[in-house]
Amino acid sequence: MSPTPMPGLTNMSREHMICSKCGEGFEPQEKIVNSTGQLWHQQCFVCAQCFREFRDGVFYEFDGRKYCEHDFHVLFAPCCNRCGEFIIGRVIKAMNASWHPSCFRCEMCSIELADTGFIKNGGRALCHECNAKVKARGLGKYVCHKCHSIIDDQPLKFRGEVYHPYHFTCTACGVELDANAREDMNELYCLRCHDKMGIPICGACRRPIEERVVTALGKHWHVEHFACAKCEKPFFGHRHYEKKGLAYCETHYHQLFGNLCFVCNQVIAGDVFTALNKAWCVNHFACSVCDQKMNQKTKFYECDLKPVCKKCYEKFPAEFRRRLRRQHEAATPKKASTPT
Amino acid sequence: MSKAKKVLEEARELQNPEMDLCDRGIGTFEELSGLLNMTYITRLTLSHNKLKSVPPGLANLTNLEILNLSNNLIEELPLSLSSMPKLRILTLTINRLYNLPRGFGAFPVLEVLDLTYNNLKDSSLPGNFFMMETLRALYLGDNDFERLPPDIKNLKNLQILVLRENDLIELPGEIGDLPRLRELHVQGNRLTILPPEIGNLDMASNKSVFKFEGNEWVPPIADQLQLGVSHLMDYLRSETYRVLYSRYQTNKPPVPPPCVDKAKKVSRIR
Ligand SMILES: [Zn+2]
Ligand SMILES: [Zn+2]
Ligand SMILES: [Zn+2]
Ligand SMILES: [Zn+2]
Ligand SMILES: [Zn+2]
Ligand SMILES: [Zn+2]
Ligand SMILES: [Zn+2]
Ligand SMILES: [Zn+2]
Repeated sequence: MSPTPMPGLTNMSREHMICSKCGEGFEPQEKIVNSTGQLWHQQCFVCAQCFREFRDGVFYEFDGRKYCEHDFHVLFAPCCNRCGEFIIGRVIKAMNASWHPSCFRCEMCSIELADTGFIKNGGRALCHECNAKVKARGLGKYVCHKCHSIIDDQPLKFRGEVYHPYHFTCTACGVELDANAREDMNELYCLRCHDKMGIPICGACRRPIEERVVTALGKHWHVEHFACAKCEKPFFGHRHYEKKGLAYCETHYHQLFGNLCFVCNQVIAGDVFTALNKAWCVNHFACSVCDQKMNQKTKFYECDLKPVCKKCYEKFPAEFRRRLRRQHEAATPKKASTPT
Repeated sequence: MSKAKKVLEEARELQNPEMDLCDRGIGTFEELSGLLNMTYITRLTLSHNKLKSVPPGLANLTNLEILNLSNNLIEELPLSLSSMPKLRILTLTINRLYNLPRGFGAFPVLEVLDLTYNNLKDSSLPGNFFMMETLRALYLGDNDFERLPPDIKNLKNLQILVLRENDLIELPGEIGDLPRLRELHVQGNRLTILPPEIGNLDMASNKSVFKFEGNEWVPPIADQLQLGVSHLMDYLRSETYRVLYSRYQTNKPPVPPPCVDKAKKVSRIR
């Protein structure tokens, strides 16, 4: 059923021409209609139903007969079940009716169904998506906004829609998500990462800390990211030393700040005694000869930049004291803490 | 004798881990009965006594971290000391040591070794002396060293090296390989030139001390020292000095005579 409108005109030798309808010849000057290689008297080239000329020469042929557009539609063409108009061209036969392709639409969302297929659901033609939704609703379930199939397990809600969780991965760690995933600032995170957000974010790499958390310098750190500011070696639980918001290994703290006690070689936590190019903790500031504790007010002598209490100095061999005195005189006088 | 005994008894009662036995007239460890069983003590100070020797059994004090034997009459040490597992500070200032026992350098954790004012010389040191990698400070002032072996470079943690008033004729360039050295005392020796490697040391920083007076420095070095330690360090690193130093190597400046009269040292008394 593919009608071909065919306006006719001729320019052939008339003696041999006959009308395809009545078989008679043509009068000279008579108008001859030529259509699809055949000739007609003008009065013969009419609709087989209403016998009227074809408007604009347009006709439709069915079963060897020609019809005008109107009669052809009335007699043979299907009507669209939606708009009631005749369907010329592609007819969609569905739901026991005919449809223009553009009129056959999902009854819920009105999307065209001609090319995507449809599902009959309770006397309605529905797209797969809507069908799934209806079905899911009936089952008390959701339909995934991405793949449009029913979500059998727990759905993942994201930006107001529901999804199969497995369509997403965690923004922080990349793991495939499950329904426990959390939305934060329009991003999805696995529960572990989300739980750790806001609290333990590594001060070095800025990512959530999933395993052991080191808390130091007022921040949290991955164990392997808490490292000496100088040599960048992680402390891995070894002692570290803090200075001006940075952490250092013992070697570099000492190298940079030199605040280890000369006796115990530990970083001095409390008060520091500084003298003779060295530092001491309160407990260890003592005479280097007799180990008696000294304090800020104790007067002491100096020998090779070690503190010597007065009693001990007086026990030094006289010739040694003489030499030490001579040396002090030779060197520029600079040690205010050293009585002479 | 009774004085020391009283102190020991009191200390035992209090279980005080720090034992002060200074200036008690102690002549021998035998006067300190029971001391070697007090294994909990961490510090033992026996300064200003009259001890002539140290018994090997002292090493029984396995918790000892600090042993101070300053100003005694000790002529010999037992090798056992160097096996003490926690000994960090050993002070032997003002004694009469001419030698150290063979194998003495085996201390596992020694950090400070003070041998000031003894009679040690180049040959006094055992072969493994410079294997003490944990050493932070080595005091060898007032001894009789003329030269130090290049092995000194093994003391990677050394921060303080005192060589005051020895008979040093030259310093090994390997001192320049001690990355943490921040105190170098070489006053009162017989030095004339310095190895250019000394220029590697960070002696010009305000955390460092370089004591150099009382040597017969060649004029170019004396001039730089006049200007300051940082000038000397720059100079030692210069190409000029490198050339000068190699010339000095083939044509050494005369060795100055000893500048310290050691005959009066009490450590010499036999
Ligand atoms: Zn229609
Ligand atoms: Zn739909
Ligand atoms: Zn889906
Ligand atoms: Zn994650
Ligand atoms: Zn990190
Ligand atoms: Zn470091
Ligand atoms: Zn201390
Ligand atoms: Zn003292």
